Amino acid sequence: MWIRERILPPGYLINVYDNRSVMAEKNKGAKNTRKSRMIALSSTEKEYVFTNPLDRKVKYMGETLQIKLYEDPNGFSYVLWKNKKYPLEIIEKNQNRYTVMLNGVWHSFTIETPFSLKRKKFLESQAGTSSSVTIDAPMPGKIVEVLVEEGADVKAGEPILILEAMKMQNEISSHVDGVIRKIAIRQNDSVMKDDLLIEIEKH
Amino acid sequence: MKIKSILIANRGEIAIRIMRTARRMGIRTYAIKTAKEPSAWYLDEADDIIDFSESLSDTPEFLDIERIIHAVRENNIDAVHPGYGFLAENPIFARRCEEENINFIGPSSGVIYNMGNKTVAKDIARKNNVPLLRGSKGTLLNADYARRFANAIGYPVILKAAAGGGGRGMRVAENEEEVERMYNLASNESAKAFNDPAMFIEKYVAEPRHIEFQILADKHGNIVHLGERECSIQRKHQKLIEESPSPALDPELREEMGNAAVDIAKGVGYFSAGTVEFLLDADRKFYFMEMNTRIQVEHPVTEMVTGIDLIEQMIRVAQGEKLLFAQKDIRLKGHAIEFRINAEDVQSGFSPSLGTIEKISWPESKNVRVDTGVHDGSVITPYYDSMIAKLIVYGEDREKALQESSNAIRKFWIKGTKTTLSFCRAVLQNRNFRKGYFNTSFLSSELKIHYHSEPEEEMLAAFFAIYDFARDLEEAEGKKLNVDKGKNITPWLLNKRLR
Repeated sequence: MWIRERILPPGYLINVYDNRSVMAEKNKGAKNTRKSRMIALSSTEKEYVFTNPLDRKVKYMGETLQIKLYEDPNGFSYVLWKNKKYPLEIIEKNQNRYTVMLNGVWHSFTIETPFSLKRKKFLESQAGTSSSVTIDAPMPGKIVEVLVEEGADVKAGEPILILEAMKMQNEISSHVDGVIRKIAIRQNDSVMKDDLLIEIEKH
Repeated sequence: MKIKSILIANRGEIAIRIMRTARRMGIRTYAIKTAKEPSAWYLDEADDIIDFSESLSDTPEFLDIERIIHAVRENNIDAVHPGYGFLAENPIFARRCEEENINFIGPSSGVIYNMGNKTVAKDIARKNNVPLLRGSKGTLLNADYARRFANAIGYPVILKAAAGGGGRGMRVAENEEEVERMYNLASNESAKAFNDPAMFIEKYVAEPRHIEFQILADKHGNIVHLGERECSIQRKHQKLIEESPSPALDPELREEMGNAAVDIAKGVGYFSAGTVEFLLDADRKFYFMEMNTRIQVEHPVTEMVTGIDLIEQMIRVAQGEKLLFAQKDIRLKGHAIEFRINAEDVQSGFSPSLGTIEKISWPESKNVRVDTGVHDGSVITPYYDSMIAKLIVYGEDREKALQESSNAIRKFWIKGTKTTLSFCRAVLQNRNFRKGYFNTSFLSSELKIHYHSEPEEEMLAAFFAIYDFARDLEEAEGKKLNVDKGKNITPWLLNKRLR
């Protein structure tokens, strides 16, 4: 078997993105990454605060953690935590946005500094609450039929279009009561996952 | 007549599964190579490859009846095994094999035709006094007719494609308002998938269990059942976890249902391996649904508890041999559970997840069987279904099998694609599943979150994201780590071991 001699970088770190200058710019003022505090903000707005992330004594919520990171001979990366192995890989990273697959479940985060998190929260409070919601494609597929027209009233749970994916026809329903403001697709269009399909103005 | 060579008209794990038994029996195996996955693993497992990669027609390779027949004749191959899906239940293909004197490893074309048409299949069940649900005796003319019929038998009703299978072309209507729309949806789907828009309708049992019986019959009138498989863990009528025996059956009910399954198979003149599907309602009444005239995806659980190699038996029956066991010789021993590992994103509504399997590994154990068609570097293409592996776990009883399953899933690692492993963990965590209390509505009513993650797992993932981000930052700041001299190596890397 081919033995991996390379110590650095481990497999999961090979695809280092090319916007390093952006990152350096962003990090101006943070004198020492090793000593800094960083926050991973989950998609449900949960904040995971770590101090000294690259240090032997990484701290999470004030507690020193014993997490060990390994790469096994088969090329899997895993963390060892309380005597259990958790396979992990980065499946997406784009600037400060990360999606990490750990033990078969993916988790999305944005990485923030205390300052950027504060600014983010401030900006969000300024934006106010929007009264319109979007229906995005839950999976890639083809639009078989659009069941509503712009300006039509819809009720939560009412089917608004039919999307064919993996040879199945899936009814996509509205999850709010409202008025169809915009239909971004037409019959027979192919859509990618997360493409905007329909915008609904909430009642 | 002894079979000396077999063409496997299929791909992936089932092709490999068939080849392994065939090779053990001293039979030469042929596989079909396609342009869609020219370096797939199943090709390595075959003795010979027939190259279909040059496309001659628009018909997909594994559905191209005449091309397959021609290849068999040209290479003087004795027999064809169709696996599941593709041409496995196509009566025209079986018929063409019969005409060309090719040994089709499966039942006769007439039986495939009769059982493939659900209205004919139900007539056969009715004649053999097997319980059925109320429904239309033939196919429906149109949506309006469906509505009137549904009003007569009462809601909820299920609309099913006459030619359907695998969950496609099926819709439930809860009331009169829904029935025409559901008819059109299902009928369109069926027209596309099976080239046949014909639908029938029947009373819908709200929360049934899906229980199926494995049948094995020879060409001399001997027929046995090999117990049941519990297939109630489904999503949109697609099975995800199967087990044998079912926690819902006792020996009496097993015998009653098994006899009904044997009666249907006998009534239609069945030979080879087949499966009779039933619904079992909350009052433990069962109803015949359909018969699948092929090997099933979930056949390994039956093999684990009976010790019988079903592919071997299919080949022996095709050779004209008699079954070497009678019903009284069949004993179900222990408990087996199969988990289908699909390349799907459970967290996004089970949407397909394409990509490359960078790494795949699982624990080797006498209680663990893995049937797969992929290995490191295999590409998941959009051309075929999303199943990448089947994990089958055995235990002396259900409790032990569940325990073994948790361990096996914990050590089943796949890198490069999202899979349904996280779903399997969620099911195994569920108390009602563990107790055996579940039915086909399990996913929609019982299992609210379709994946499982411990709270600290998100923390670990968060840490890893921050760790990676911080490392990139450090590099960007110009503090390059000096690997050669071992200076400034992060403690993480010191932990990395080479075994």
